[in-house]
Amino acid sequence: MLDTLPFKVADLSLADFGRREIRLAEHEMPGLMAVRAEYAATQPLAGARITGSLHMTVQTAVLIETLVALGAKVRWASCNIFSTQDHAAAAVAVGPDGTIDNPKGTPVFAWKGETLEEYWWCTQQALTWDGETGPNMLLDDGGDATLLVHKGAEFEAAGMVPAAKDDDPEEWRVILAVLTEALAETPGKWTAMAAGIKGVTEETTTGVHRLYEMARAGTLKFPAINVNDSVTKSKFDNKYGCRHSLVDGINRATDVLIGGKVAVICGYGDVGKGCSESLRGQGARVIVTEIDPICALQAAMDGFQVATLEDVVDTADIFVTATGNYNIITAEHMSRMKHQAIVGNIGHFDNEIDMAGLARLPGIKRTNIKPQVDEWTFPDGHAVIVLSEGRLLNLGNATGHPSFVMSNSFTNQVIAQVELFTKTDEYELGVHVLPKHLDEKVARLHLDALGVRLTQLTKEQAAYIGVPVDGPYKSDHYRY
Amino acid sequence: MARTSPTTTGTDPRQASGDSSPESAPQAAVPASDIADPGLALTGLPGIAWAERAMPVLGMLRADFARQQPFAGLTVACCLHVTAETAVLIRTLTAGGARVHLAASNPLSTQDDIAAALAADDAVTVQARAGVDRGTYYEHIHRVLDSAPDLVMDDGCDLVNTLHEDRPELTGHVRGGSEATSSGAARLRRMAAAGSLRFPVVAADLSAIGRMVDHKYGTGQSVIDGILRATNTLVAGATVVVAGFGPCGSGIAERARGLGAQVIVTEVDPVRALGALMQGFRVMPMSAAAPLGELVITATGSRDVVGAAELALLPDGAMLANAGHFDVEIDVSALAALAVDVNPGVRPHADEYVLADGRRLILLAEGRVVNLVAGEGNPAAVMDTSFAVQALALAWLASGTPADGAPGRVLDVPADIDARVASLTLASLGTRIDTLTEDQRRYLESWQQGS
Repeated sequence: MLDTLPFKVADLSLADFGRREIRLAEHEMPGLMAVRAEYAATQPLAGARITGSLHMTVQTAVLIETLVALGAKVRWASCNIFSTQDHAAAAVAVGPDGTIDNPKGTPVFAWKGETLEEYWWCTQQALTWDGETGPNMLLDDGGDATLLVHKGAEFEAAGMVPAAKDDDPEEWRVILAVLTEALAETPGKWTAMAAGIKGVTEETTTGVHRLYEMARAGTLKFPAINVNDSVTKSKFDNKYGCRHSLVDGINRATDVLIGGKVAVICGYGDVGKGCSESLRGQGARVIVTEIDPICALQAAMDGFQVATLEDVVDTADIFVTATGNYNIITAEHMSRMKHQAIVGNIGHFDNEIDMAGLARLPGIKRTNIKPQVDEWTFPDGHAVIVLSEGRLLNLGNATGHPSFVMSNSFTNQVIAQVELFTKTDEYELGVHVLPKHLDEKVARLHLDALGVRLTQLTKEQAAYIGVPVDGPYKSDHYRY
Repeated sequence: MARTSPTTTGTDPRQASGDSSPESAPQAAVPASDIADPGLALTGLPGIAWAERAMPVLGMLRADFARQQPFAGLTVACCLHVTAETAVLIRTLTAGGARVHLAASNPLSTQDDIAAALAADDAVTVQARAGVDRGTYYEHIHRVLDSAPDLVMDDGCDLVNTLHEDRPELTGHVRGGSEATSSGAARLRRMAAAGSLRFPVVAADLSAIGRMVDHKYGTGQSVIDGILRATNTLVAGATVVVAGFGPCGSGIAERARGLGAQVIVTEVDPVRALGALMQGFRVMPMSAAAPLGELVITATGSRDVVGAAELALLPDGAMLANAGHFDVEIDVSALAALAVDVNPGVRPHADEYVLADGRRLILLAEGRVVNLVAGEGNPAAVMDTSFAVQALALAWLASGTPADGAPGRVLDVPADIDARVASLTLASLGTRIDTLTEDQRRYLESWQQGS
């Protein structure tokens, strides 16, 4: 039954609501809409079979329909068990021209609150194309689709899926089970699929990190474009997006007054910078923790107190992890926090806060307050409030980044897809970033909507600083 | 009595005090100006002209005053910081017919070239030299009081206080006065409460404009400016302790944060402390803040905010600056007593005190108001609104109206004066605002309409 389902979403009747939200989002996503207009005639993605693994939100719906408008066929899964907006998924399945009774949209496999088994089933569904070996393009966020294809091919080459070890994380056990079944059912499936993929465009820091690891180890099977490190992605999405959605998530989850509180942000990368500014703007006193001396010094120069988590764990009111690392907030940390301290994570994976360790504490009691808000009470009677079970709270408790920010990120995605699909030969095996003129193009597509008037270099000025009049204006190592 | 253009430097001879108005009963010989160097007059003129460009509101008032002559025949004794901006105020008063006698309101804040330029105007005498001692400072105040003023304009209440303490025979002649600072207004309210104040004084510090433009934005900016000029220290990353979260302190705290400092606020008032907390500042007692303070700025209007106990806690290299009007917020004598060595003038306006344990503390501007001593005081645009309020308040007092109903009281700035100055300032900035419709006005005044 794997390759027969057209889609699977929570509730198709939500499609009308989803379509209304998509319509509003289109107005706030001028980059994507400009790309649709630019490529309407040439259809550069005609022939592309794109499997996407990316949070199934309203903004992603606009991305999916942009890819379709450029000629692609698309199958989609979310890249997080909590991040799907069910009305957006329904609207994508129904499509702009379909009805609830006669859906004509894009096959999407995603709902809010999947189990891990369901999550990997969805990912596999998105990778499965009737009559084809699989997709010829991947669009990934966090690298799960890429991982499944690579591990499947690796195990096929090895002739077997390794047995799960006792200390393997639960999610890895699920992946092994999925692959064990797939290898038995269709031998050679993943090897053939990997061979048919022209490339992957990767959305986020964490997934990019995996890609570089694979490239370094020589195991990467197709070229990749690192969309995350486009300036118009990481310096916008990571910073301004989180600045917006962090407080939104905390407010929706708890509605505590942020003004006057002490907040700890773990990590002062692009995401941590946005988060710190966000909470400071609400009147919180923000303390930053860092391991990198450069980021730590930046935080200090921006006027934030920089301390270790141990220094402040018993005095702060709000804790947010934004490190991309794991085991940042341990169960022991949480046992020392103030009563009803709020603990959340905005990093991609759910291992920044040690939820398993928390659940294992003898005598700990979990009380669900409302969806994605849990009170964990310690034997001594004090409690902490954990948001989204330690998964990214801006998506779990709120609706993630706003449309305008995502328009920047996703315009990079679309351009990267067009690059890899139409110029496959120019991208050798490895991890690439988009050339700067395309990064500048993404920014340029968003200026009009904000009423920005750009100054034009004169020929003489351009010559004086040694750049073309129409850009690119900065060297590749410029840091913005 | 209408004067010619007040911008002339007054080369034409003028009658002495004999031609002042008949009600100027107590006659006194007004001493000549006591300034550092009359030869600096030409040097001071460009500074005054520069300030005039940035003070359009006083410019508009000067035109009004020149027509209406609200101060015709009246003598105004002023005790103000002798700066270019004050010069523009003085010229606004003389345009309205006043004779002005000006003393400095701080022994260190006088700009000698400005004093000389003002003194060259024959409607003005100036008693001010930079760096005078305490005795000379008060002698200068007595010299302007010798003019038997009809109106007084004070900045810190030293003139009004001296008038009441040492020259009570002159108080009956005074129609009223204005006070610029919170520190001075607090003294005046204590005088009024004790029944000692003999004439009405408008406290300009509590005007809405004063609190907003002057204290928060003006003092907030110029205190940072003064500290930077004195120290050239990088504020980003430093821990700055701001004592007091009134309009001045909150302005300083915001600006220090804007430069990247970690700001700690100390307060005695729970309401203000809560306000600071809600704006994301750390709030703690000075005893807890002092060990962290790399730069400590007092803005309380109180005294001994940083005393011997707190000085003992400050880290090596800590810098101390006072933004309050008087030099009592940092206990300088306690600092001197703790020090085993003093290196005066390690930079201009920065003295290094070496303590017995080897710590070195840097006192800026001798603990006096740092924005005026080490910087140039509030920017001219800020003083424009502040002085406009005081000039209009003085004109209101000159008309005699409030004196009838309010002898010996400290008066708030009338709301219509605040509104007029705000309107003129908006006009000077080219900003237009809405006007209530008649329906809206009725709605706002009614109580019958609900939901």
